Amino acid sequence: MSQEATTDLKRTHGHAALLRKGSSNKMALKEKIVQIYEAFFQGEDPSSGNPNFWDEFFLLKPNIPYIESEFDKVSGEGLMMLKENLNALFYRAVESLKEDNTIRVVNAIYTMAALVRGVCRKNFGDFGFDVINILIGFDAAETVMQELVENLNQILNGEYPTALKQQVLRFIMVLATAADNISLNTLLEYLMINSVFESLIQILGDVNLRQMLGGDAVQVLTLLVQYRKYESANPYIVKLSILDDELALTGYAQVVLGALSDFNREYHCHSTEAQAGWFSAFASMVGNMFVPDEKHISAVRANDLVLLALYEAIHLNRNFITALTHTHTPSTPTTPPSSPTVPVSNPLNDPAPELHKIDKALLEQSSHPTNLLVTFLEYSSIMMQDTKDETKHSNAKLCLVILTCIAEDQYANSLMHDVNINFRVTLHRMPMRHRKMKVEKDTPSRPLVCALLDLMVEFTMSHMMKSFPLELYNRCLGIIQRVLCYQKKCRVRLQYPWKELWTALINLLKYLLSNESNLLKKHNNIFHLSSKVVNIFNLFITYGDTFLPNPNSYDELYYEIIRMHQVFDNLYSMALRYTTSDGESKESAARLTNHLVNVKAIINHFSPKVDSWAAANQLSSLTEEQVLDVVRANYDSLTLKLQDSLDQYERYSEKPRENAFFTNLVRAVVMDVRKSVSNLSQYHQHVLQSVSEM
Amino acid sequence: MASSSSHNAAHFERSLSASAVDHTIYRQSPDPKWKDQNGNEQEPMEEETPVSGVHKVNGLLENVKEVNCSLRNGHAENGENLSEKIAALKVESNGLSTVSEEEKKEKVKDEVLGKPPLPRNKQNSTSGKQSWLLRLFESKMFDMSIAISYLFNSKEPGVQTYLGNRLFSFPEEEVDFYLPQLLNMYIHMHDVAEAIHPYIVYRCRHSVEFSLQTAWILSAFSADVLKPNWKNSQGIKLKNMILNEELRPKVDKKAGNLPSPTLPHALHPLTVTTPVKKTHCRSKSDATGIYSKMPHSQTTGNLQKSNTGDLSTGRAFDSGCICVQSSEGIVNDLTGKETVCHCGAPRLKPELEFVNALMNIGSRLQQLPTKELRTSRLIAELAMLNLNLPARVWLPFGTNSHHHIVRIPHTQAIVLNSKEKAPYLLYVEVLEVENVYSSHVPSKRLENTLRFTKSEEDLTTCYVRSNGSPHPEFSLYGGSEFDDAECWSQEDDEILQFAVKTRSVDTLSQFSVDSTTSADSKEPVYIAAGDIRKRLSEHFTAPKSKFERDPEDPSAAALKEPWEEKVKRIRDASPYGQLPNWKLLSVIIKCGDDLRQELLVYQVLKVLKNIWDQEHVPLWIEPYHILATSNNSGMIQPVDNTVSIHQIKKHSKKSLKEYFIQEFGEVNSEGFLTAQKNFVQSCAGYCLVCYLMQVKDRHNGNILLDSDGHIIHIDFGFILSTSPGKNLGFENSPFKLTHEFAEVMGGLESDMFEYFKILILQGLVASRKHMDKIIPIVEIMQTGSGLPCFGNGMNTIRQLKERFHLNLTEEQLQLYVDQLVESSLNSLTTSLYDKFQYFTNGIL
Repeated sequence: MSQEATTDLKRTHGHAALLRKGSSNKMALKEKIVQIYEAFFQGEDPSSGNPNFWDEFFLLKPNIPYIESEFDKVSGEGLMMLKENLNALFYRAVESLKEDNTIRVVNAIYTMAALVRGVCRKNFGDFGFDVINILIGFDAAETVMQELVENLNQILNGEYPTALKQQVLRFIMVLATAADNISLNTLLEYLMINSVFESLIQILGDVNLRQMLGGDAVQVLTLLVQYRKYESANPYIVKLSILDDELALTGYAQVVLGALSDFNREYHCHSTEAQAGWFSAFASMVGNMFVPDEKHISAVRANDLVLLALYEAIHLNRNFITALTHTHTPSTPTTPPSSPTVPVSNPLNDPAPELHKIDKALLEQSSHPTNLLVTFLEYSSIMMQDTKDETKHSNAKLCLVILTCIAEDQYANSLMHDVNINFRVTLHRMPMRHRKMKVEKDTPSRPLVCALLDLMVEFTMSHMMKSFPLELYNRCLGIIQRVLCYQKKCRVRLQYPWKELWTALINLLKYLLSNESNLLKKHNNIFHLSSKVVNIFNLFITYGDTFLPNPNSYDELYYEIIRMHQVFDNLYSMALRYTTSDGESKESAARLTNHLVNVKAIINHFSPKVDSWAAANQLSSLTEEQVLDVVRANYDSLTLKLQDSLDQYERYSEKPRENAFFTNLVRAVVMDVRKSVSNLSQYHQHVLQSVSEM
Repeated sequence: MASSSSHNAAHFERSLSASAVDHTIYRQSPDPKWKDQNGNEQEPMEEETPVSGVHKVNGLLENVKEVNCSLRNGHAENGENLSEKIAALKVESNGLSTVSEEEKKEKVKDEVLGKPPLPRNKQNSTSGKQSWLLRLFESKMFDMSIAISYLFNSKEPGVQTYLGNRLFSFPEEEVDFYLPQLLNMYIHMHDVAEAIHPYIVYRCRHSVEFSLQTAWILSAFSADVLKPNWKNSQGIKLKNMILNEELRPKVDKKAGNLPSPTLPHALHPLTVTTPVKKTHCRSKSDATGIYSKMPHSQTTGNLQKSNTGDLSTGRAFDSGCICVQSSEGIVNDLTGKETVCHCGAPRLKPELEFVNALMNIGSRLQQLPTKELRTSRLIAELAMLNLNLPARVWLPFGTNSHHHIVRIPHTQAIVLNSKEKAPYLLYVEVLEVENVYSSHVPSKRLENTLRFTKSEEDLTTCYVRSNGSPHPEFSLYGGSEFDDAECWSQEDDEILQFAVKTRSVDTLSQFSVDSTTSADSKEPVYIAAGDIRKRLSEHFTAPKSKFERDPEDPSAAALKEPWEEKVKRIRDASPYGQLPNWKLLSVIIKCGDDLRQELLVYQVLKVLKNIWDQEHVPLWIEPYHILATSNNSGMIQPVDNTVSIHQIKKHSKKSLKEYFIQEFGEVNSEGFLTAQKNFVQSCAGYCLVCYLMQVKDRHNGNILLDSDGHIIHIDFGFILSTSPGKNLGFENSPFKLTHEFAEVMGGLESDMFEYFKILILQGLVASRKHMDKIIPIVEIMQTGSGLPCFGNGMNTIRQLKERFHLNLTEEQLQLYVDQLVESSLNSLTTSLYDKFQYFTNGIL
């Protein structure tokens, strides 16, 4: 190591042993840089009397672990004593960013990163003001930080090697993750005053830069958006929300798409592998039972940031919807797939050993154009399979939140319902006892909303379990309602097998009924959920004429209700029970009985008619066609009550309901990112190489 | 007088024969007059007036000639002329063989050729025939058709040169119509090339459009030149010259209003372009400054690298010209002046790249196996293309190219029915402008304009406020005063209204919607389930003017939609739709198909149409524009409001007559009668076309019906001496006339059917009269061409001529027409062919 450093030095600066201080004493075995660090941390100023000191200092390879360990040794007060030295070091590092010699620039970045990490290890607990003081000094902070950001922007925008730009982005990540709670990271205040937004957007808009840096740029942007999100005006939020550069937005979408499809692809390889034989299937099942799938969970965690990025873009920027459905032309086979997730941020999924599988998957993909929404739906289908684990639960929740935002957006809806925009969406289904795990290979191309509805149906069917995810169910039903409202308002007659949805919803009601006591213990509001289900039926019953694909489907709806009348009857009597008893559920139970009016009317109207028809024809059981005939013949005498505000829903808003969720999520994300940028210098050699190639 | 005039004549002689040749000869010429002339030539003549100038001088000269009796100095002149020409030719051939010399020469030549060379009078040697010719050329009768015919037939260099110069006197559109013929001769006939070269170079310099057309036609027709030699390599050379942007407008010394003092009026424009570019590059900073002030955030505003051609950059169709963005451009834009590009950016590149991009999509689609895949891929590719628009590109169909393409509504594009090839139809939104090259290209607008303006208004003000201090009092999520839901809900209503508006509103379900609002009054509202069911079924039994969307045949539904409705729908959805000069155009991109025959048929149809108009015979045909960009790619102008008869039968499941009744009304209604008349007139027109041009492969997928009842034949891949199935003569009837067609006309005994036959006769008589306008078009294209329709060699033309039946009287002709109709109707092969198409391609 030290050999390297010295040869480095020699190569660039000849033989002059200019760092005289301590060069002749006993610590000859130490790296030169370590000796200098020691001097710094002993409160000495090694630069005094040596005008060339800083020039040479930044030519030496920094030893980040050493700096950090030095910080660990020093106490809080001891650190205050070192303030002058640290300030000077930081200031010089900032100055060095302007150097033409990129080696100095790289080393300066590493040095700053080490300083920031070192200082922030000390938990000051006073909103980081001391951090700023010790690192930069209060009086100089504003100007130094301004200069820092200017220099960073300069590197990001200018003609510099990509590897260097990447280190700059990583350094910003170090800054952004300095504190556990991103909103308490006062260092970021300076990044609010001096924006790097434009540089990030430029990276996203440029095809070549995006390939390498897109992932990091999106991560940085997402982190910066989180800063004091709920309190002050964060310029990144504002700028992101008004961003209308189509190229940059598309680039943003591509980065997210790349990350998600990497995950999907890996999952695909994984699951096809698992399917390979009975034994391996069994083995992996056993394996899954006893060994928590570490790798998988960490991958999910890594996706949190990507999902958060997607969420922020959709939630904040309304132009992003276009990019969401903007079709991504698969790259021609000759060019490698753009993988914006840089290995560092996700060191566990090293793509190399799986190259051949990827090739196959790629080939499959290459003929099918995809878009972010398609990829995201597939990703969601994977994530929603298993929501038991908390990490996965929150990830699935974020997926559903994003889908809610999409389903609420009228423009997104118009795109999803466009019959000209057809896609094949691969939806993964969880293996369950009563059905085989099967990825439907040949789903036809359909409007995107069909896939969304399929996904919701699938979710409804597959989560009736002991740990009932009530909140997720609420979101799921909300999404269905939003889509139906759009169809009703815009008279879109979607060719969709609605029967599957009805069956799923009735099954859900059945499950709620049979687990009534159990569920009520944990969540008091299964009535609210049931009301949501019933109201979806009400939408079909009273507004079916505006959006059902054909008259037969309306008949079928009645058929299903009549056939499953027992479920509705039981639901009604259960609700009635709670309205009489004085409980906290009284009100919502009463509301549920109200909502059931039409369903009951239908059952009461048709059931006797069906029975009497059966009696008249002396049949014990009727075929579907016979029941449908009875239904068709008896519409006219049935009166329905128009329910209030069936097509109204509360719009999604992050504040205040979801604050806690996002705060926790961001905290976890910050930890992850911090870990991922912890070994910044491991790429030192690589960076220097590519820099020297310039 | 005599000597001076003879001297002049000699001079003209030289300048003419040299016009396409090496001028170094003249440099060496000891004749002082030449230099004088050369110098004078540059100054007095305005760039705009060459045509009239030529004409005048030409006329004058002729007079002098006739008076002075051309024979007097004929022999001497002729001898000298001949030897010089041989020398010139040698030089020419040398020059053509090496590019560098050619270039050098070109530059020198340009000096002279910037203006058209003075015309030479007629040949001196043989008088009698020539003067007749001269009279013809001087007469009012003389038009482009005669000109190309004589260019083609005359072997006299003098005549050819004269005609080459006369081109300057024709209206440009007229010449443009015959451009394929001119260029085919240019490619294959060296002497004609020499004669018309000055004209073509002149036009290329002045018009980007003409340059492009020339380049495309040249590349389409010179594909058959397998072994280029000195005799036929000039076409490729000219094409390369155009594509290398060597033929730019000459910068005139006098054009002082162009602020380019740094640009020396030099012989070597290529060498000076580099410094010119540099000086302009320096002013980039102010250009980008202006850029950033534009309402849009631009990522790569300061990276003005030339990205032409790379679709992912978003500026693939950007020539890199900075004139329009420069301060001068802005000033001009504000003052309403036009900005002329003078920064040396490529003129043709953007448009070439655009057309190239469209063709590339076509060839990529071909590799995909299913229609579904193709459709989604097409939409994806076009979305990508869209990122690069608006740009200074246009649809290169001669008649309406004054526009900039701003957006491609990519989801509206459709893959057309074809098994191997993947032609596709695409709509383009354009803004009409006065001058494509100098008008301002509009800035980008995002898809969802409504919200875009809204959010920007809201948030920029917020941002300006928060910009100053890091801790502003204002909070973005400031609780009550900034309610998320409230903030956007209004806007969504707008979008919703808009969405509802764009859909064809079925008033049937109005009730349910109304009832929602009344529900606010808190009184319970009751509705009958029967009503809901009834409305639903009424909606489905209501007669539909649309075809249902069929993923296997997406074009049927898309094409059935009336053009006006489509335009309105797309306009409403487009962010550019509100602009007054917005317009929707459509184009079919064909890749992997040779459109040169189509082009030929287009020309013939156009001429026929003109003839019938001129002779007042009411036959109806619809020539549609064709652009062949190479020998296996091109563009076709779709005919609005048409669906193929195959699609009609498949989707309506009715006979043609039943369909007519459904679309136009009962048999005796006015609508039906008009449509029937249109049907008969168009049927007669196309029957005649099919007969004359021997159009084959006439299955119902190739016959369209428009919304007025006209039929339109498309796809002229098999004409003259070629037919499908290895020329076995599968369809041996004169033209396609089925009993179904006759049924629409009212049956074989009806008046309309008689009228139909009369129309054919009248049309044939009229065409026969003007046969001379039709034959040369076809004949010239035969030269050197490998088009399959000329497979029978010279017989092809002979047989074509025979089909006009010059020897028959009108009575005989009438009998003949009756016979044609009879045999077509009773042709077994027509129905056989239809059956064959049904079994092989599923075409009804």
